[in-house]
Amino acid sequence: MKPTLLSRFLAPLALAFLVAGPALADAPAPQETPSLAAAVKAGKLPPVADRLPQAPLVITPTEIGKQGGAMTMLMGTNKDTKMMVVFGYARLVVYTPDYTLVPDILQSYEVEDGRVFTFHLRPGHKWSDGEPFTAEDFRYWFEDMAGNKELFRSGLPDAMLAEGKGPKFEVIDPETVRYTWAKRNPLFLPALAGPEPLYIYAPAHYMKKFHVKYGDAKFIEDQVKAQRVRNWAALHTRLFHPYQDDNPDLPSLDPWVPRTKPPAERFVFERNPYFHRIDPEGHQLPYIDSVALVIADAKIIPAKTGAGESDLQARYLRFDNYTFLKEAEERQNYAVRLWKTAPGAQLALYPNLNVNDPVWQKLMRDVRFRRALSLAIDRHEINQAIYYGLALEGQNTALPGSPLYDPADRNAWSQFDIKAANKLLDEIGLTARDSDGIRLLPDGRLLQIVIENAGESTEQSDVLELIRDTWAEAGIKLFSKPSQREIWRRRVYAGDTMMSIDKGVENGLVRPGLAPMEFAPTTQGQVEWPKWGQYLETKGKAGEKIDVPEAEELATLYQKWFAAGDDATRTAIWKKMLQINADQVFTIGIIAGVLQPVVVTNRLRNVPAEGIYNWDPGAFFGVYHMDTFWFAPEGSKQASIQQ
Amino acid sequence: MFQYIIRRILIMIPTLIVISAVIFAIIKLPPGDFFTAYVETLRASGEQADLQKIAFLREQYHFDDPAWMQYGYWVSGLAQGDLGFSFEYERPVSQVVGDRLLLTFIVSVATIIFTWVVSFPIGVYSATHQYSWSDYSLTFLGFLGLATPNFLLALVLLYLANVYFGLSIGGLMEPRYLDQPWSWAKAMSVLSHLWIPVLVIGASGTAGMIRRLRANLLDELQKQYVVTARAKGLPPFRALVKYPLRMSLNPFIADIGALLPHVISGAAVVSVVLSLPTTGPMLLSALRSQDMYLAGSFLFFMAFLTVIGVFLSDLALAWLDPRIRLDGGVTR
Repeated sequence: MKPTLLSRFLAPLALAFLVAGPALADAPAPQETPSLAAAVKAGKLPPVADRLPQAPLVITPTEIGKQGGAMTMLMGTNKDTKMMVVFGYARLVVYTPDYTLVPDILQSYEVEDGRVFTFHLRPGHKWSDGEPFTAEDFRYWFEDMAGNKELFRSGLPDAMLAEGKGPKFEVIDPETVRYTWAKRNPLFLPALAGPEPLYIYAPAHYMKKFHVKYGDAKFIEDQVKAQRVRNWAALHTRLFHPYQDDNPDLPSLDPWVPRTKPPAERFVFERNPYFHRIDPEGHQLPYIDSVALVIADAKIIPAKTGAGESDLQARYLRFDNYTFLKEAEERQNYAVRLWKTAPGAQLALYPNLNVNDPVWQKLMRDVRFRRALSLAIDRHEINQAIYYGLALEGQNTALPGSPLYDPADRNAWSQFDIKAANKLLDEIGLTARDSDGIRLLPDGRLLQIVIENAGESTEQSDVLELIRDTWAEAGIKLFSKPSQREIWRRRVYAGDTMMSIDKGVENGLVRPGLAPMEFAPTTQGQVEWPKWGQYLETKGKAGEKIDVPEAEELATLYQKWFAAGDDATRTAIWKKMLQINADQVFTIGIIAGVLQPVVVTNRLRNVPAEGIYNWDPGAFFGVYHMDTFWFAPEGSKQASIQQ
Repeated sequence: MFQYIIRRILIMIPTLIVISAVIFAIIKLPPGDFFTAYVETLRASGEQADLQKIAFLREQYHFDDPAWMQYGYWVSGLAQGDLGFSFEYERPVSQVVGDRLLLTFIVSVATIIFTWVVSFPIGVYSATHQYSWSDYSLTFLGFLGLATPNFLLALVLLYLANVYFGLSIGGLMEPRYLDQPWSWAKAMSVLSHLWIPVLVIGASGTAGMIRRLRANLLDELQKQYVVTARAKGLPPFRALVKYPLRMSLNPFIADIGALLPHVISGAAVVSVVLSLPTTGPMLLSALRSQDMYLAGSFLFFMAFLTVIGVFLSDLALAWLDPRIRLDGGVTR
């Protein structure tokens, strides 16, 4: 349910707005799942009506499906079992495909003034082992886990701190909990809805056995020995790892629960008989009975997908696999779809404003220099030569599709204009050139820019090769230096790197309610201003204080965003920040919107023909409800193979 | 002989200590450690690392102690048979390695048998029919096998096998057997997949073995005792097998030393290309992600097997070839 316009105005007035789940009355009569019927009959499982919460969540899929079937997907490492948590996307609150927050595991929630969060659970909701899911599970996490110094050494996670302070936690009744902060905490709900969610609950009935406060000391000691860990805290941490999804004994609320203990080459996940969602005809979701993840080397996954070994595959496929995959489409009975991606830029250049060399630092901090570099890139040529003209040219900023998108930001200083670039460089005073036409720095050195990168893709080298030609026309010499991710990062942090090339901002589909942390100095990980980020991250203990007014302003705006109480103010802040970023060209975006191939076997239905393949928000297939994907009978064709 | 064995065993101890130190130093050489690499990898895909857990593991495994102390912890663990903990897999190294050893063993033993079965008769035939057209063509084939890059051959075979025989790409069995217990169907699936890695890994080894056997046998065949034997009317087959062949077998025996570690490590590059569930790719990824106990303990285990293998092959050589002296002090 979308917050109405009215509620947006009411929220800042410190009035609660309520986001309610479906009422009890409109829930259809539940139908027994065929694959579980035998177990129910044998008395091993309660009937479906008793397994569902009293008010299950009704999901209306594109097409009502049939339950059953087994799906295979390919993954690159053992750690990829976490993808089932991401794809399954059962969260306290979730994003819809248009990125509004709605309750999912929660029946409803209320937010007052951005500070007081009241969560209502679904009465009768059960863990995957049939035990009730109640407020006690929240209390256990908050008091016995997060509040335990041995388990949570550094205290609460960041998303649960508002200006450094944690919330007051209350259990109102067995189905209601409340978190109250002194200051607004806009990070809380997005963190709960993230692809890697903030878990603020734990299956208390299972975990207590391993907690020194509740468990049997002898049992814990034996387990510590058997699992070869140092103490109970290590044991507890290892067993409660719901995001990794690799402990078959750990009760879960996800649509599929693990059935394989790692290490393995094939991980099987089976349907959670207690899952809280149903379709309008009363079939319990997920439709698909079991999902198998086959582990293969990441490099061989495109080839295996092309051999028809995956029913649904996007991970480890890249745009340059498209032609290969398309060629095998007929033979292998699958369809290749192209979904949009959400990074603000596929590739961007990051001038290091904290580079140690004083001459270079002065130059990098001169906005005219950054603009000249941007103007001297022929984005259209890059798009045509490397991305078949299918990508989006422009700066590293919001994408079309984001409510904050402004074409002016994307196009700022991004047209190819060597003349203007040369004029800007002359203005700065870099007029002296050597015999090859390369400009000289004020101290007589050549204007040679070394662009370092993580050395993981040839795509970066190809793009740099094209930039090298046009920069030469502006009298700039470019060298590319691929290294290794970690070494490159260290060099950037130390100020040894002049410029880097990497992916742009992670999420270009920005929304007013998401924190603008990628557009202001916030962490050391930002390679355009690592030392400023580090300064803010460590609260002034390390790094350097920001000394460029525009960056300073971004940092201030970022603070203001947190204090803002309504979306109108947040939108204004966001727009201002995007505009400063675009005009200042702190990062030089090259190309965005490179498409993601998604291979879907012909029998698999309800996979949208067009979608956005994004990590956060989106959880890849998560927002498109993978639990509603289903297998049509053998031999049937996709209704719409072509888009 | 007994004294010799004792001495050899005693020499192994300092050898292994030096090896362990070298292994540890090499693994520690790249900047950073597993966790910094891990955090960076996660960051690259937009995820956040569980810093709580990392701080926890760092402390548990003494990451913040000086290097010599970490070495001490590792070696004392090794001495007690504790291979340490793999951070990548989040379980003890022995469990991680254990599952893969069997399949690696199958692949390697099959490869060795293939190499021997093919190279032995061809080598003998080439040597006895030197400079005939059949020698030339077999030699040509052998050189092809030596010169073709393994990984290329692997890719070509993988493609052909998938398109023409419908085999699944990579791996050692059809995906549906992966989590099944061993059965006849599973074994057949393994066999139908096994020929590609065996052929690929065996190709260059076979070629090399043919050349060595041929060269050794040719040397022997021209010696006076063979000429004498023939002149005295010994049947040609007996004149070949009785002494010259035995003499030329030395490279086979000497190879045993290298075979032992090979049996458990497999051919890493080919295994990566073919996505085999063997120890080779595991070692490679462990080295890349700086999963130091997994990489270190596995390398050490291989070094240990090499030392044992060399010892065994020396004993076997001494037993087979009476010309080899145990106490070489005077002649050496």
